[in-house]
Amino acid sequence: MKNPYAYIEAETLKTVDETSNIKTFTFKPRGEIGFRAGQFMEVTIPGIGEAPYTPSSNHDHKETLDFTIMSAGRVTKLMHGLKPGAIVGLRGPYGKGYPLHEFKGKEIYIVGGGVGLAPLRALLYALFNDANDYRKIIVKYGSRSPKDIVYKNEIETWKRHGSHVDIQVSVDIGDETWKGNVGLVTTILKKDGLDISNAVSIVCGPPIMMKFVTFKLLELGFKDSQIYLSMEKNMSCGVGKCGHCRIGPYYACKDGPVFTYDKIKDLPNIWE
Amino acid sequence: MNLYIISLKDLIDLLSRLQPEYSIFVPYRKGDRIQFAPFDPAREREMEFGGVRQTQPIKSFISPSREIVVDGCRKDPRPLFIAGVKGCDLQSLKLQDHVFGSGDVEDPFYTRKRKEAFIMASDCAYALETCFCLAMDGAPYPRKEFDICLSPAGSYLIVEIGGPKGEELVKKYKTFFKAPSRQDAEARDKSRQSVANQVSEFIRQRRTPDIKAVRGAVKASHDNTTMWEDLSSTCVECGACNLACPTCHCFLLYDERSARDGDRRVKIWDSCLYKTFARVAGGANPRRHLYERLRNRFDKKFAFFPEVLDYFACTGCGRCIEACPGDIDIREVLKGAVSGKWEKPPHR
Repeated sequence: MKNPYAYIEAETLKTVDETSNIKTFTFKPRGEIGFRAGQFMEVTIPGIGEAPYTPSSNHDHKETLDFTIMSAGRVTKLMHGLKPGAIVGLRGPYGKGYPLHEFKGKEIYIVGGGVGLAPLRALLYALFNDANDYRKIIVKYGSRSPKDIVYKNEIETWKRHGSHVDIQVSVDIGDETWKGNVGLVTTILKKDGLDISNAVSIVCGPPIMMKFVTFKLLELGFKDSQIYLSMEKNMSCGVGKCGHCRIGPYYACKDGPVFTYDKIKDLPNIWE
Repeated sequence: MNLYIISLKDLIDLLSRLQPEYSIFVPYRKGDRIQFAPFDPAREREMEFGGVRQTQPIKSFISPSREIVVDGCRKDPRPLFIAGVKGCDLQSLKLQDHVFGSGDVEDPFYTRKRKEAFIMASDCAYALETCFCLAMDGAPYPRKEFDICLSPAGSYLIVEIGGPKGEELVKKYKTFFKAPSRQDAEARDKSRQSVANQVSEFIRQRRTPDIKAVRGAVKASHDNTTMWEDLSSTCVECGACNLACPTCHCFLLYDERSARDGDRRVKIWDSCLYKTFARVAGGANPRRHLYERLRNRFDKKFAFFPEVLDYFACTGCGRCIEACPGDIDIREVLKGAVSGKWEKPPHR
């Protein structure tokens, strides 16, 4: 019987500084491990600890996996010290991922905040794999300041996937170089000619951001069941046993981490 | 029903014969408590196969408090043999099996121990004031989930077979097992009834609500913040209730590095009362306040598991009542939730 707590080794190939406290790591697994966009994995620093992250790369690229990670806790601080060649551990994938089949033929309205763009990048690449299967792909990204924007050099290239793709970035606080919108991400959430009855919105970001984005989306006319939220909790075992990530009747690790709003809206403290 | 009798001396002899094959634990009396410890025939006089539920819950053996889950270390290859397991602990196995032994992913450490373990259950010879198994659909005597069950009857024990493993054991060591008389079965029923009456009396005195009354009550009391705040006012977040509880199953995985043993991953029991239990590195914490964490413990037992497993995750063993240094009494909590009115319990 397979040991669900064991990881496979992976080699760090590359690290990219996205911002002062966010890095993207490219790992090459020494064994078979894949994922579907929205699923997560546990990344281990051997002998130190592990933590859950959603890969940010294209799920069709099997050779390597990207993870975009903010330095926030004990494990992530050490991760930020990883150099090419360093060995980490990977186990997973866990959770259900984005139901891409439900998105086909629809207008996709993606809202990201801060490092929450990481799982959405994996989603975008998955959508771009079959870009013409979706009527529209709109991305609204909010970041604290221009310096905190992740994937700076990539965002422009995303627009090239077709005239039905649109990306807009807003920052909470601008600076002398910033020409775009200044304000919370909710200030750039507009109808934008969307056919909301045939749209879905996928949201990932800090809890407080997801809360106000959800309220704004409801105001725009989205139904509860059209809003997909990344309810990232303290997923530890990944297989619904350790108890840490329970939300009401669900475990974020196996029933999520992506939930439609109708499933969770009546549960206590979902935005904390 | 297939009943036998075995003398205490023969039982000790039998366990001695089984010792090379099994890792055997039996209950010993220690002051006013009964504790499991490895079988040692020299301590025969301290053993208590009747008695009442032991200090340690059965999960201590099958899902131990600290277990290395990743590395190449050798484990005791012998299957477990646990003697003297009470009805309340047997009832907890349904939950532990659900969490660790079923679903898409099984815990191979749990599954191996659970499948191989020989469970020798036994009747409670008396009840503790904290016992309320009957309110939680349990009983002070084993009804299922055992291989054989012992019912102490003076100088010998009445033996009931509960499954194929038990049948095989009795067959293999048949010289130890004798035919009972009709009076033996009657004596067993009588003694069971007398302990059950004792438990019922404790439930009556305390006005402890039963499962029927509790159903839905904890969920309904969710917004009774006054009650949960008041209840948690003496909680010191020690987690003793979780550790003592036979159904609490939450654990923490942590990695350690040692020069001698290399890297390993350890699975240890965790407590949902700890502030960091649900906190994430970014700082978000769905249960920031202590009262939310205490409420969560009851929500998990009396709302979550009834919903996902149609099972109330409390067996009425009363260990948490005994373990709590803040005198938080699960029976009073349930009473508060059921009545919808919160009054401080009389012992505060």
